Amino acid sequence: MTSEAEKILIVDDDHDFVEAVSAFLEAHNYIVLKAQDGREGLKQAKMQRPDLIIMDIIMNERTEGFFTVQEIRRTAELETVPIFVLSSLYSQVTDFGIPPNSSWLAHDEFLPKPVNMPDLLEKIQHCMEERHRSLAAPAGRKAGT
Amino acid sequence: MSETVEQETIVVIDDDYAMRLSCRKILSKMGFRVETFEDGGQGLEGVTTLKPSLVLVDLKMPGISGMEVVARIHEVRPEVVLVVITGYPTIDTAVGAMQRGAYDFLPKPFSPDELRLIVNRGLEHHRLWLEMQRGEMERALLKRRFITFVSHQLQTPLVAVHQYLDVLKHLDNTEGATAKRHEWLDRCLKRTEELQALIKDWLSLARIEGESFSRQWVKVDLQQIIADILRTDGEMAATNGVSLESRIPENTYFVKGDRNCLSVLFDNLIVNAIKYNKPGGKVTVSAKDLGGEVEIAVADTGVGIPEKYRPLLFEEFFRIEGNGNKKTPGTGLGLSICRRLVSEMGGSISVDSEVNVGSTFRVRLLEYHAQTEEEGKKGSSG
Repeated sequence: MTSEAEKILIVDDDHDFVEAVSAFLEAHNYIVLKAQDGREGLKQAKMQRPDLIIMDIIMNERTEGFFTVQEIRRTAELETVPIFVLSSLYSQVTDFGIPPNSSWLAHDEFLPKPVNMPDLLEKIQHCMEERHRSLAAPAGRKAGT
Repeated sequence: MSETVEQETIVVIDDDYAMRLSCRKILSKMGFRVETFEDGGQGLEGVTTLKPSLVLVDLKMPGISGMEVVARIHEVRPEVVLVVITGYPTIDTAVGAMQRGAYDFLPKPFSPDELRLIVNRGLEHHRLWLEMQRGEMERALLKRRFITFVSHQLQTPLVAVHQYLDVLKHLDNTEGATAKRHEWLDRCLKRTEELQALIKDWLSLARIEGESFSRQWVKVDLQQIIADILRTDGEMAATNGVSLESRIPENTYFVKGDRNCLSVLFDNLIVNAIKYNKPGGKVTVSAKDLGGEVEIAVADTGVGIPEKYRPLLFEEFFRIEGNGNKKTPGTGLGLSICRRLVSEMGGSISVDSEVNVGSTFRVRLLEYHAQTEEEGKKGSSG
C-alpha cells in the first residue's frame, strides 16, 4: 500500500477510449494523465513522471506509438517506466513487421483493443507491485550500508 | 561467401556527412551494397544507374528537395522503396511524402535498431512488390494496405463503444459512472453512427468501382435534385445554425446523368458545406451554363481549406486535422466518392477556398442536349 496515488499516463488519439479507460482507472484510485499524440505524450511523461504509460500505436494514421515508445526509452529519467502498448491491430501486428514480443519495442505488456478492464487493472497492479519491489531493493541495500 | 548471391543495393541521399557515414556502416554490416550521395541531383542520377531496392532520402537538403527526389524516383522507378528521413514528422510532411510515393518514415534522431527495422520492413515490401508484379501486383498490394487501414478505421469506433460499455458494467453503481452514464451512452450512439456512415461510404465506393450501380443516363432537372437534398438536409442545417439556399431556377438547367449518382454527389457536397460551416453561416447552391456543360457551385461560409491540403482533398481517407476539426464526424471518403461519381458522369470537380471565409466546390456536368430526342421525351414527362 502506497501513501500516494499512482499516476498513469494514457497516450491515445481516440478521445472516447481515453475517457472510458481513465474513468475506470480513476475509480480505482489512480491519477490519470492524458495525451492525444506522441509528442504530447512525451512532453507529459517528461514533466509529470508517470508511474506507468498506456500507449496506443496507430495515432494520426501512422505508427506513431512505436516511435514514441523508443523516444521515451531514450529519455534518461524514463528508461524504466513501465509501458503498456495497446492496439486494435493486435492480430495483424505482424503486418507491420513487429511481433508483440519484439525486443526493439521496449514495452512491458502488449494488449489488444478493446481492452478487458479487470484484466488491465490486474496487470497494472501486478506491474506496480513488481516495480515497488525492485525500487525498494536497492534502496534497502543502501540503507543497510 | 558465395558471389552468386545478388547483393541488394541501398542508396542514401543526405547532405549530412555523419548521417551518410553511420547509415553506410550499419547497412553494410547487414550485407547490403550501400551507396551515398550528398544532394538530390547526384542521388537521382545514382538511383538511375544503381537500380537500388531501397532509397533513404533526407527531406531537408539544399538544392532539390527531398520531396521532389521522392516524387521523381517514384515516377521513374516505382518499384524502389522510398524511406524518408525527417525531423519529427508532421501530418503535412507525412501525407505529402506518402502521396508522392514514400513508403515509410525514419524520424531523426534514430537508433541503429530503428534503421534496421525500417530497412528490413521496406525490403520485404520491395520483395512483395516484385512478387506481385508478376501477377496482379499493384492492385493486390494496394488492397492489402487499404484493408489494414480500413479495418483499423472500422475498429476504432467499435473499440470506443466496447470500452464505454465495459466500464459502465464494471463501475455499475459508483458515483462517477452514474453521473456520466448519459453522456457515455450518447457517445456510444455517436460512434456507432460514425461506424455506420463509414460502412455506407465504403460500400458506395465499392459499388462505383464495381459499376454495379444500375445507371440510367437521363435528363435531370437540377432544380429538383437540389431542392430534394436541401429538404432532407434542412434539419441538420438548422441544428448547425446554417441556412440553405438554392439559386437554381426550375426548368432551366438540365444535365445528363444518373439520378442516384447526382443525389449522392450533391448530398455529400451540401452536407460538407453544412458541417464545415460556422454558426450563422450559409450554404448557397447555384448553376451556370458554360455551353455544353453546366457548372454547379456549392458555396459555404465556413472554415475554408488551407491551400496546401487542396491537392489531397479528394484522396481516400484524407482529412484535415487541427482547428478542432477532429471533432467533426466524417469518414474521409465523401469527397473521393464525389470525384469518382463526377468522373463516371464525364464531368469534373474542383474547389476554391479561402481560410475562414469559405469554400466553393464546382462540379461541371454534361448539359443535356435536345438532340437526343427519344430520351428527352421519356425524361421530361412533367
